[in-house]
Amino acid sequence: MQNVLSILFCLSLFYLAVTSRVKAYVAVLRFQGIILTVLLVFPFINHFSVYAFILPTTLFIVKVILIPRYINKIILDLDVKRMIEPTIQQFTFQLLVIFAMIIIFVTSNILSKSTSIETIPFASGFSAIVVGIFVIIFRKKLIIHVAGFLVLENGIFLFGTAVASELPMMIEIGTLLDVFVVVFLMGIAMNKISSTLSGFDVTALGRLKD
Amino acid sequence: MFEFVLLILIPLLSAGVCYFLKNIRLQYSISLFVSAVHLLLSLLIFIGWYKTDLPFFFSTDSLSKLFLLVLSNVYFWVVLVSFSYLKRPVTPNSEEGKRYYFLLLNFYLFANTAAILSNHYGMYWVAAEGTTLSVAPLIYYYRNEEALEAMWKYLFLVSIGIAFAFIGILFLTLSAKGTPLEGQQLFFSEFVKQAGTLNPVWLKASFIFIFVGLSTKIGIAPMHSADVDATSNSPSPIAALMSGSLRVTALLGVMRIFQIMQPTSTYDFAKTILIIGGLLSLLFAFVFMFKVNNYKRMLAYSSIEHLGIITLGIGIGGLAFVGAMYHIIYNSLNKVVLFFSAGNIHHRYKTREVDGVKSVLNILPWSGWLLMISFLSISAIPPFGIFFSELMIFEGMLFSDKPWILAVTMFLLLFIFINMGKTLFQMLYKKDENENIAVEKEHFEIIHFAAIFLLILLIAIAVVSPNILRDNILNISKDFGIKL
Repeated sequence: MQNVLSILFCLSLFYLAVTSRVKAYVAVLRFQGIILTVLLVFPFINHFSVYAFILPTTLFIVKVILIPRYINKIILDLDVKRMIEPTIQQFTFQLLVIFAMIIIFVTSNILSKSTSIETIPFASGFSAIVVGIFVIIFRKKLIIHVAGFLVLENGIFLFGTAVASELPMMIEIGTLLDVFVVVFLMGIAMNKISSTLSGFDVTALGRLKD
Repeated sequence: MFEFVLLILIPLLSAGVCYFLKNIRLQYSISLFVSAVHLLLSLLIFIGWYKTDLPFFFSTDSLSKLFLLVLSNVYFWVVLVSFSYLKRPVTPNSEEGKRYYFLLLNFYLFANTAAILSNHYGMYWVAAEGTTLSVAPLIYYYRNEEALEAMWKYLFLVSIGIAFAFIGILFLTLSAKGTPLEGQQLFFSEFVKQAGTLNPVWLKASFIFIFVGLSTKIGIAPMHSADVDATSNSPSPIAALMSGSLRVTALLGVMRIFQIMQPTSTYDFAKTILIIGGLLSLLFAFVFMFKVNNYKRMLAYSSIEHLGIITLGIGIGGLAFVGAMYHIIYNSLNKVVLFFSAGNIHHRYKTREVDGVKSVLNILPWSGWLLMISFLSISAIPPFGIFFSELMIFEGMLFSDKPWILAVTMFLLLFIFINMGKTLFQMLYKKDENENIAVEKEHFEIIHFAAIFLLILLIAIAVVSPNILRDNILNISKDFGIKL
């Protein structure tokens, strides 16, 4: 089941590589949030406890409801145009993503022979980290940068479940809250950038250099 | 438990109180009181008069005691001068920034203390991210375009950096597969005890990710750009806070994993990476000092230089490690003085460009002299502390297995000194044609008092060399397996 969900997660990454609409990015973030929630709930189906549901619920609220809504609100408020404004051709970007994912999957397979890791979730998580970075590098709009950062965070989360690290719940919730506040502050900053620097892509940020 | 309340919960509570208080003076009084209590307790813990008994996830050792004292001390002076700083007139839209100033400062103290005292990598991560969140809005204090850009870059880059550090932490759990640590919590102390059993490949990967990720916060080249922008565009108390304590807290995360790697076969690998990072930082500082025309950026590069020296010292080991620990203390004191003086100059001249600042010694005698003395101090002129710590680091380099590093370091430092000196003396001495037009004499303010006190402290610690400090640093060296 974990593998099926991870592959769905990978498909969402491919969709990111293909789409050029801003709204699609938000939809992908929401979709990934749902996958991660299901992934967390899944082990507890047989032995139900209220305590075990605190983390998935927080995750759902933060990643599926609050953050996508907040980003949508920013898009509406700032009147962000529909297209994502890539800096390289969309086709090159797709090739880059596919190429990176092949390398990651092959490497993970090799690594799994020496260490016991769940290959597919491990590789999917790492792919999301790399795709998130690609999105940040090859897109101009700041709002897409934030989305890229969130894809990267989702990747780390999936990756964390793959290495079966058991962080205490308090700390997991702490990390979720941190991410939420980061996005919140970035949203405020974007509002200010669009009003004072009259633009919301990286070209507006060029004042500070040596 | 009592110290947990005082060190961690009270700052959080005081942040909450500051939110509801409209009066800035009242916010200041509360924050100052909290910082004084924090400093006193940190000092007591450091001296050993107070034995700590912290709850789950937190604990103290020699390293965290030292870092806690550094944080408390810098924070206290920053809060002390903050009120006189906030009284200065600013543009109308920056008035808004004052309201949240003390709230964010208190939250910073809360998050940073939690990061330093944490004994768990997850806790450290959450708290370190908390410090970024509290500092980012403070960078935007002036509410101008440069500050906005600096804040965005800092928030974004450091968040990504710290996400990388999280990947490193996950790799650390992977390295524990098949050892008694598997499925256990990520406590530093446990990992140090069982270090020999960890998987070296994953441990190396973990170190790389944690080092590169936290470099954005420490300001080690080549990940330093956001840090330079942030330090140079934030108000000077915040710049002092970042240079003096925030960078060091990030360094703590790297030192923790370095400590874990010490008994393993990966130790030399980690040392090499630290040395490369340190030398690169010196190189970047060296290059940019040639062309820098903004004096606050120059000080930010100086921070990178000194964090580079510290990283280098830790990487070399031996006596250089001990020197690096001393350097952390002296550098934090010295950076506070430098940024306070630079802040006074910025306030009078309204520019950060070197060309716009002339004849500082005549117009601002107090700040001018303090800037000059603190520059001499940061350039390792005796009897200031930095001289002694750098001497120790250099001696360590000379007697290590890589003595050529000393030659490279000396060469880079010489030119950094010359370029920095040239720029600063131009600001201090170059005559201004309009100089005689009625300039108001500079009054002695609390900022000058703080700066003079810290400079005296800088000499006193070096000359007196208290046994408690020496023993503590020797204990840290012992924890890191360093034989002297």
